[in-house]
Amino acid sequence: MDQASIQAVGLSYAYGDTLAVDDISFGVAAGEVLGFLGPNGAGKSTTIRMLTGQLSPHRGSIRILGMDMPGDRTAIQGRIGVCFEEKNLYLEMTAHENLAFFATLFGVTVDVDALLERVGLRERGRDRVSSFSKGMRQRLMITRALINTPDVLFLDEPTDGLDPVSARGIRDLIRAEADRGAAVLLTTHDMHEADELSDRVAFIDDGRVIALDAPEELKLAHGQRSMRVRRRVGGLVEEEVIELDGASAADQVRAAVAKEGLLTVHTEEATLEDIFVQLAGRGLSG
Amino acid sequence: MNLRIVGAIIKKDLRLFSRDLFYVLMTAFGLVVYVAMFWVLPSSVDETLRLGVHAEGMGDLLDLGPVDGPKEGLAVVAFDSQAALRDAVEAGTDGIAAGLDLPQGFIEDIRAGDQPKITVFLRGDAPAELRDTIGGFVRELAYAVASVAPPVDMPSLTDVVVGIDRAGDQLSLQDRFRPLFAFLVLMIETFALAGLIATEISGRTVVAVLVTPATTAEFLLAKVVVGTGLAFSQAVLLLGLIGALGTGTLTLLLALLLGSLLVTGVGLLAGSTGRDFLGIVFWTMLFIIPLTVPAIAGLFPGAAAAWVVAMPTYGLVATITAVTVDGAPFRAVAGDLGVVAIWCVLVLAAGLLVLRRKVATL
Repeated sequence: MDQASIQAVGLSYAYGDTLAVDDISFGVAAGEVLGFLGPNGAGKSTTIRMLTGQLSPHRGSIRILGMDMPGDRTAIQGRIGVCFEEKNLYLEMTAHENLAFFATLFGVTVDVDALLERVGLRERGRDRVSSFSKGMRQRLMITRALINTPDVLFLDEPTDGLDPVSARGIRDLIRAEADRGAAVLLTTHDMHEADELSDRVAFIDDGRVIALDAPEELKLAHGQRSMRVRRRVGGLVEEEVIELDGASAADQVRAAVAKEGLLTVHTEEATLEDIFVQLAGRGLSG
Repeated sequence: MNLRIVGAIIKKDLRLFSRDLFYVLMTAFGLVVYVAMFWVLPSSVDETLRLGVHAEGMGDLLDLGPVDGPKEGLAVVAFDSQAALRDAVEAGTDGIAAGLDLPQGFIEDIRAGDQPKITVFLRGDAPAELRDTIGGFVRELAYAVASVAPPVDMPSLTDVVVGIDRAGDQLSLQDRFRPLFAFLVLMIETFALAGLIATEISGRTVVAVLVTPATTAEFLLAKVVVGTGLAFSQAVLLLGLIGALGTGTLTLLLALLLGSLLVTGVGLLAGSTGRDFLGIVFWTMLFIIPLTVPAIAGLFPGAAAAWVVAMPTYGLVATITAVTVDGAPFRAVAGDLGVVAIWCVLVLAAGLLVLRRKVATL
């Protein structure tokens, strides 16, 4: 991970006596999407606040794009994009004015209309944000995070409140940013989204990273695969579940599909949520 | 310090200010109303005492001595009957403040050394000084008509007036209200700044700004510039419209600048609470009401308690009054302005500190 765009080592932060982040270490490479998963209060937001320069870690070190945070805060902040969970837009300014203002802060010249076009807001660019729906505001938030063509993207629940079509569009956009070479740290409660977008996922619980790997590797390491076979016996439908990780799984599968009256065969694997529950002993929504 | 970033935040804040209909209307309304009120107020004080006199059978009395026509500070109006005099005093007709009814044979009685009975008519709300004035007038009248010494020897007194002698030169209502109007305009802009900051905090837009290359120092500087600029420009406009910038212009501008910085500090403090509109009104008023005391005290010269001098805005009010009324030079008000400047530094520093801490904890 020497070339990581984000490199966090031994990060810790406490609010008074409450340890919010406890010795967290991870890295995100350029072009990689790291899913940051954990229940509310796990320490995700505090970690992102430290990474984006809003908080200074009490212990540990952060390097973003080879620079020290918070030592090189201003230089780093010029090359990152942040999409917050709360829709912190200037409601009495138009979408166009919001983006133009942030472009000035970054010192970049951008085609605001083209940016709005990317998220389907060009037609509403001259309307005040106060008249926008929740989904439109979310799309504008994403656009704002991309205004400086960032090398590192921090996205906190980027598809929250979006309809399926819009969410799909945003996921495509995130993937495109990663393909462009941006390192993406993605916080989401949507396990399917994390599974689909993330090259790796980090499970955070009680301020610690309890697992960090590619979704498939986590499933292989911690999840249980099974096959559900249904067949008609007499007038009744009979169902058989075969654990595929068992030593005799192959024989059981062959036997099951060879029997008469076969109706359906389904394979099942653990979800990221299942794995988190298995590792943390509680759900992601807890 | 990146001036491009500071400029962008200022421009954004002014845009948001211009779109807040409430504050824009308050600003415009304040300017129009205060300017109109100022010009409606009297610009001078009529200190002439109008005294009604009924002297039965002494038609030529009013041509004598101290009552021979209008004198400076005293005008005598003759009445044909006691009833007419009484009605005029009661109704305040023609500004008659008091009436003297001299009995028939008044001159003869005086010359004979007798004590004729004189009836004095006073309104219920007449000040005590007026009774003394009338007493003196009667003694002077007796001396004039009978050439005898006043029945009572007046003690010899030497008046020592500390400060500007306002005897016969009282402050007009325009003079008294001028500092108050200026302060009220500053106060409106305090609300505006506090509202801008509170919205930025409650909407957490400041967090979005501070994860860009913008620093907290640049954010704070922009707020100070916006708050001071709004307050200063409105106050200068007001003083210009009420014709107060003719003399001591630079001194007045300095005073208004200090006043604007002071209320900006208050705006930062109140805005840091991040409350809704009512919360902003509450917190702003909490600071503003004490600061308004010197301006209100200026409406009643001599009536204010001594501690008013210690208020942060006292020097501001004193400077505006001294420069606009007496044409005081800078050196005469430098001390007052120095005190205001110290208060400015303290309040502004407190506001910046509190807002900085608030922003850091978002």
